[in-house]
Amino acid sequence: MATDRMPGWVRGLLYTLALLVLWEGVGQLRLVAGGALPPPTAIALRLFADWADYPNHILATIQGASIGFVIGNAIALAAGVLFVLFPVTSRVARGLNVAIYALPPIAISPILVLTLSGMAPRVVLAAIGCYFVTMTATVVGLSQTDARAVDVVKAYGGSKWAVLRLVQWRSALPSILSGLRIAAPNAVLGAILAEFGGGGRWGLGVYLLGSLGRGEPDRLWGIGLMATAIAAFAYLAFAVAANAITGTTQAVTVPSSVAKAADRDRPVWQNATIAAASVALPFGVWMLLIWALGVPAMLAKSPAGLFEYLFLMPNSPVAQERLLAALAQTLPMTLIGMVAGLAMALGLALASQIYPAIVRAFMPIALVTQTMPLVALTPLLVLMLGRGYSLILWVTISVTFFPAFVTMAQGLILVPRAALEVPRAYGAGILTQLRLVSLPASLPYLFAATRLTVPRALLGVMIAEWLATGTGLGNLLNQSRGYLDYGMIWTVAVVSVLISVAFYQIVVVVEHRVLDRLGMASTN
Amino acid sequence: MTKGSGITLDRVSRNFDSRGRRVEALREVSLACPPGSLTALIGPSGCGKSTILRLCLGLDTPSSGSLALNGLSPADATRAGMTGVAFQDAALLPWRSVQANVALPLDVLGHSVSAHASKIAELLDLVGLKGFEKSLPGELSGGMRQRVAIARALVTAPEVLFLDEPFGALDQILRRQMNIELQRIWMETGATTLLVTHGIDEAVFLADRIIVMASRPGRIAKIIDVDLPRPRDRSMFGDPRFHALEREIAEALDGH
Ligand SMILES: Nc1ncnc2c1ncn2[C@@H]1O[C@H](COP(=O)(O)OP(=O)(O)OP(=O)(O)O)[C@@H](O)[C@H]1O
Ligand SMILES: [Mg+2]
Repeated sequence: MATDRMPGWVRGLLYTLALLVLWEGVGQLRLVAGGALPPPTAIALRLFADWADYPNHILATIQGASIGFVIGNAIALAAGVLFVLFPVTSRVARGLNVAIYALPPIAISPILVLTLSGMAPRVVLAAIGCYFVTMTATVVGLSQTDARAVDVVKAYGGSKWAVLRLVQWRSALPSILSGLRIAAPNAVLGAILAEFGGGGRWGLGVYLLGSLGRGEPDRLWGIGLMATAIAAFAYLAFAVAANAITGTTQAVTVPSSVAKAADRDRPVWQNATIAAASVALPFGVWMLLIWALGVPAMLAKSPAGLFEYLFLMPNSPVAQERLLAALAQTLPMTLIGMVAGLAMALGLALASQIYPAIVRAFMPIALVTQTMPLVALTPLLVLMLGRGYSLILWVTISVTFFPAFVTMAQGLILVPRAALEVPRAYGAGILTQLRLVSLPASLPYLFAATRLTVPRALLGVMIAEWLATGTGLGNLLNQSRGYLDYGMIWTVAVVSVLISVAFYQIVVVVEHRVLDRLGMASTN
Repeated sequence: MTKGSGITLDRVSRNFDSRGRRVEALREVSLACPPGSLTALIGPSGCGKSTILRLCLGLDTPSSGSLALNGLSPADATRAGMTGVAFQDAALLPWRSVQANVALPLDVLGHSVSAHASKIAELLDLVGLKGFEKSLPGELSGGMRQRVAIARALVTAPEVLFLDEPFGALDQILRRQMNIELQRIWMETGATTLLVTHGIDEAVFLADRIIVMASRPGRIAKIIDVDLPRPRDRSMFGDPRFHALEREIAEALDGH
C-alpha cells in the first residue's frame, strides 16, 4: 500500500481530514440528534459572522488561564522538588495535594466568585487545575531518574542539590513537559468554569453561558471549538518541546534500578504523626483560608460549622438522608466510570505503540473532549444518549481518560530502547514486546495514571449528574446552589474530597505492595 | 607524588536483606592498597567486587567494619575531589555531549570547566575519541561510551582511582592498547588505583597485587603479588613469568 510510505504525520492528517468530511456529511444531513451536531462549515460560517464578539472574550479567558497557569505551575514545580528532596514533606502534604486535586470546580466556583473579585476566581481555578498534574509529573520525573547517573554524581561527593541540578531536573524534563501539556487545557477549562460562576463581562465562558439559552448549536460549537483551539495550541507547544527533548537523549541502556529514597524504616510513632499531619493539614489550610479571606460565616463553613450543620441542627437528619441517598447513586457510577476510563486509556496507549498514526488522528478528538466545555457538549450528549447511565459513563470517560492516557503513553515512550531490543532479538512481535517489557517497565506510570484518574472520575460523574441526569451528588450540589443552602454546598464539596482521598489512598497501598515486590520505585 | 595511606578496608561486611532473603555480599574483607599502588580485584560474578567500590565511594555503607581513603572517610574523600571512578556500566548522562559528560565531575565539585578545556580535549584524544566531542552518548557504540567513562574518571586528576571493568566492552586489541595507556597514566599520576577486572591477563599486566575473590559469601580467597618490572610493554604478554602468574590466578579462581 502506498500509505505505508507516507510519513506518520501525513497519514495522521489524512485521517483527520477523513473525520472532518464524515462530520460534514453527518451534520449536513442532520443525522445526529436533529441537528445538535452542526456541520463544520456551518460552524465556521457562524464563527465568521460572530467574529466581532470574539477578541475580547478570548483575551479575557487567555488572561485568566495563563496567569493561573504560571502561578499554579510555579507552585507545583517548587512543591514537586521539595517533595522529592525531602520525602517526609510529600507524605505530610499528601492529604492536601489530593484534596486540591479533588476539589470539584463546580462546587467552589460560586464560592470563589462570592469571596474573591475580578480575575481572581478564574486565576485560582486555572491554577488549581494545573497544580496537581504538574506536581505529580515533577515528582514522577525526578524520582524515576536513572540510579546509575545519580551514583556518578554522588561518587564525587555531590549533594542532593548537585544531583538535582546535574541529573534529576534534566531527566525529569520530559515528564514535566508532559505534565504541563495536560495542565494547559486544564487551565483553560478552569478559567472557563470560573467564568460560568459569574462575575465579569468578558470570557468565553461568559459568552457560552449567554448563548446557551438561545438554542444555537452552531454558535455553541464555535465558542467551544475556539476554547479548544486555545488549549490545543498550548498543548501542542509543550508536546513539540517534549519531543525535541526526548528524541536524541533517551537512555540507551536499561536503568537497572531507579534512585530510591530510603524512607521506610521509621518508628511507628513517627509514621503515625506523619499520617495525622497529612490528614490535619487540609483542614488547617481550609480554616486558615476562611480566616484570611474574612468570608462571612454564613457563606463559608468551617469544619466545626459543617459538623454542626450535619449533626446538631434540627434539619440534620434530613440533610444526612439526602447526602446518603446521593452517595448511593454516585459511588457505583464513579467506580464503573473510573475502570472504563482507565481501560480506554490503556487500550489507546498500547494502540499508540502499535498504530501511531491512528492515535495521532484520534488526538484532536481527545483534546476536544478535554476542553470543549462539557456544558456545550452536554446538550448534544443528552440528545444522543438520553439522560441515563450511559451518559454519565461517557462524560466520566471523557474527563478521566485523557490524563491517564498521556501518563501511560509517557511511561511507554520512556521504556529504554535496549530493553525492547532484547525480546526483539528473539523475534518477538510488538505484542510480546509490550507484554514482556513495555507494560512491566511502565508499571509505575500505570499506577500514577490510576491515581490521577480517581478524583476526576468522581468529578465527571458529578458534572453529568448536575447537567443531565438530576441524580446523585452532582444534583444535590446544584439544588443546594439554587436554595442557597451553603451548608449542603460545603458538605458535598468536602464529602467528594474525602471520597477521592480515600480512593486515592487505596490505590497508593496497592501500588506500594506491587512495586515493592517487583523492586521498582513508586512515583508517589 | 602521593600522600596519605592509600585504600584500607578493615573487616568490612555488607549484607543485603531484600524480600526476605539475606545476601552476604561481603564478609569480613580486609585489604590495604598502599599509596600509589595498582591493585586488581578479580573473582566470579556476584562476589562483591562492585560492592567494594561502592563502599569506597561512599555510595553505600558497610554493615560492619570500616574503610578509609588516604585516612579520610569515603564521604570526605569524595567531597574533597580526591577520587575518580569509572563504573562497570558507563552511566553517561544521555542529554550531555561526550565533552560535557567528561566534565561532569568538575560540575559536581564546583571546578571551572573552561579552565579544564584543554585537559578534556587531551583525555578524549587519549581514549581515541577525538572528533566525537559533540556527540551524544546515544550516538556512540558501547565501547566508545566506556572510553568516555574512563576519560571522565581521569578528569579530576584523582589521587585514588576506581575502575570497575573499564575495558569490558572493548575489543582485545583496543583493550591491550588501553592497558598500556592506563599503565602510563597511572605511572605519571601515581594514583592509588583499584581495578576490577574479569581479564586474568589484564590483571597480571597492570597490577602490583591481585586480590582473588570468592563468592557466597563474598570474601578474599588469595592475594598474589606481581613483581614484574615496570614499565611493562607488549612483549610482557609472552613472558614465561607472566604465564606462570596467569596459571596461579586461574587456579585460585577455581578454588585451589
Ligand atoms: N542493592 C542490592 N540489593 C541486594 N543485593 C545486592 C545489591 N547490590 C548487590 N547485591 C548483591 O551483592 C552481591 C555482590 O554484588 P556485586 O555487584 O558487588 O558483584 P560483582 O562482584 O561486581 O559482580 P559482577 O562481576 O557480575 O559485576 C550479589 O550477589 C548481588 O546480588
Ligand atoms: Mg560488578
